[in-house]
Amino acid sequence: MSFKWKRLGENSLFLFPSIILTAVLGIYPLFWMLRYMFYDYAGYGEALFVGLDNFRRLMRDGLFWESVGNTFMFAGGKLLLTLPLSLLLAVILNGKLRGGSLLRGIYFMPTVISTAVISVVFYTIFNSYNGMVNTLLVKLHLISQPVDWLGPKHAMLTVILVAVWGAVGNYMLLFLAGLQSIPQDLYESASIDGANAGRRFLHITLPMLAPVAQMVMMLAIIASLKGYESIMVITEGGPIGKTEVMYLYLYKLLFPVSTGSPVAQQLGYGSAVGFASAAIVGAITGLYFFLSRKMNKVY
Amino acid sequence: MRKKWLGLGLSFMLAAGIAGCGGNDNNGTSDATNGKSDGGTATPASEKSQPVQLKYWTDDRHDQEYIKELINKFNETNGDNIQVELTVMSENYTQSVDIAFSSNQAPDVLRLKSANTSEFVKKGYLAPIDGYLTDDMKKKFGSLLIDNVNRFDGKVYSLANTGLTMRLVYNKDLFAKAGIEKPPVSLQEMVDDAKKITEVGKSEGIYGFALNFKNPKQAFDRSIREILSLSGYQGLGFDMKTGQFDFAPYSQVIKYFKQMHKDGSILPGAETLDIDPLRAQFAAGKIGMYLSFSTEPGVYKDQFPTEINWAGALAPTLDGQIKGTSEIVSAGTWLGISAKSAHQEAAWKFMQYMYGDDVLKTYHEKGFGIAIVPSIVEQAKNPDTNGMEGFLVGDHDSLWPAAPSVTPEGSNYADAFFKYMISDGDLKTITADLNARYNAALSKAVEKGEFTVTPNPAFDPSKPQGE
Repeated sequence: MSFKWKRLGENSLFLFPSIILTAVLGIYPLFWMLRYMFYDYAGYGEALFVGLDNFRRLMRDGLFWESVGNTFMFAGGKLLLTLPLSLLLAVILNGKLRGGSLLRGIYFMPTVISTAVISVVFYTIFNSYNGMVNTLLVKLHLISQPVDWLGPKHAMLTVILVAVWGAVGNYMLLFLAGLQSIPQDLYESASIDGANAGRRFLHITLPMLAPVAQMVMMLAIIASLKGYESIMVITEGGPIGKTEVMYLYLYKLLFPVSTGSPVAQQLGYGSAVGFASAAIVGAITGLYFFLSRKMNKVY
Repeated sequence: MRKKWLGLGLSFMLAAGIAGCGGNDNNGTSDATNGKSDGGTATPASEKSQPVQLKYWTDDRHDQEYIKELINKFNETNGDNIQVELTVMSENYTQSVDIAFSSNQAPDVLRLKSANTSEFVKKGYLAPIDGYLTDDMKKKFGSLLIDNVNRFDGKVYSLANTGLTMRLVYNKDLFAKAGIEKPPVSLQEMVDDAKKITEVGKSEGIYGFALNFKNPKQAFDRSIREILSLSGYQGLGFDMKTGQFDFAPYSQVIKYFKQMHKDGSILPGAETLDIDPLRAQFAAGKIGMYLSFSTEPGVYKDQFPTEINWAGALAPTLDGQIKGTSEIVSAGTWLGISAKSAHQEAAWKFMQYMYGDDVLKTYHEKGFGIAIVPSIVEQAKNPDTNGMEGFLVGDHDSLWPAAPSVTPEGSNYADAFFKYMISDGDLKTITADLNARYNAALSKAVEKGEFTVTPNPAFDPSKPQGE
């Protein structure tokens, strides 16, 4: 057996578990979803073929389009705060800072803590009747009456802040890895040429970081558009749908919350919503790749 | 290279071996117990025939110690060599049951609730029990056999044990502090009382009213449902007389809720309040009143022990007049037998034991649920749980016929009315839109043969079962 074939055999063996899991848990259900989006199906009984009815319903479903708008607001707010903050932290930690490793660990910690746990903690911090934020602000005389952080006016801002807190450490670490791969001699020669810290950041760090930044931003965009877990725990999409994002709306169709009275699954319509949601995320990611195509070219 | 392949092969075999050792047919996610586990010794197959192994799944956690005791006793005393294994699920019970049935690992006996029974019947999970029912049992449970609750297409799938009554839960100390002598009997009184309590308590963070509005349907299905049934209307918006949805009575109730919100009498942040944080605030004496199920006395005994002086009272009605009966919910079902069980007769013997007078009587007396089986209600003593006296089944409580459950396009009635309650909108338009969407979904479900609807022009809300 030639070396090439042996190598192929080894590689296949290592890939086998992932391929099986992806095929069984990812691709196989995907085909069912692609089928069911043309059916009226509640998870039991006969699936009734309805052609494009689910998509017609989707077009007139105000709740879905409201959730799409909320998703953009949530993702936009999260990205605007997360990316600059994580880059800033990465640049600071990339310098020779005492206790840098400890800080890196602390910033990364939210990434490894369960989202559900984080969300419950933030609920107790932000709730308006005895939350810590209001107690602190009242004591500091910054507000006279408790603010309803989870009410219709502020709930979106609150869930964005929670999402930023959970994501910054993760992207900081990716940016840090990118920063550490930039050759030090570039900075040294720029310093000899008289470039100050600001110029070195603008003309060396940013361009050299571009390919990593492109990937980091892509991951951040996808995660922001798909994120719903913390929202589900903190507000469950409320109040009055103000934080209902696309994937939370989808989740509720497929796994309705029991309320004591019977609630039916909507697998057919849910599949159509899932397809549309995936198409929206895919289109935005594709557009981002097109617009950022020059970022992976390092001169 | 050969060594590397050998190593990989051994690792694979080891992994397969470990996986094989770990596997068994127990799908329980938590707290599985076997009646024979404490002190029981295995009997060699040659000495005694193999016992019939039954699996019983439940998602009830509040009564698990008592149920374990019962199962241990059954395992030790039954003369048919039946061994029952109890699995108490934590969450996602319905999904776990779905997976078990689709992978042929279904339990033999299942805990059934009104929220899942019709779905389980439609999915073909349950076996009818008509053939097993003795004359005595028919007599004992006969008045509690209800279409689309425990009887579907003329076949019985489960029997009643307990039900949940719903009441206004109120803090007697706060009512006294605000100079209110008795709990409200009309919605206008409820609005006024909530305002008074807030006026005297707001400086200490005390508010007159709250509900778990994080999920408006959960909030309204434990409050407006009861207000309506006691006022003479079906509590989920269905009109028994016409066989159509009509949310007009619902819209009358929501006006009073909106008024309480406008008055500032509702606990701030109630829009994202879950039931447990609400209970914690009530136990801390921060809420004047709310509406909920008869599970509350148990909650304030074990989960949120409280020093406050509280009680349960009949829900207020639209105009202070009782024209209907307070609906007993989650009633009519308890245990059922799997259609896929290979031991249905043994499963029935276990069910028969569980539905015995002693078991049902003790279940009520220990406060796990409120007995609704007439012969048990007569025999059983009242549970010794603070606050339970206000929740016991009385003259104004009864079971209602099941209302059809439909899934309309767009938002459900609770979300639509809650939006009106805390923001704005035209109530007539909202009500008309709900009627149109719910009745369209009803027609569609009837066309598909999911259920039949028979209008009952003679329906009397003061005698919903027609007796």
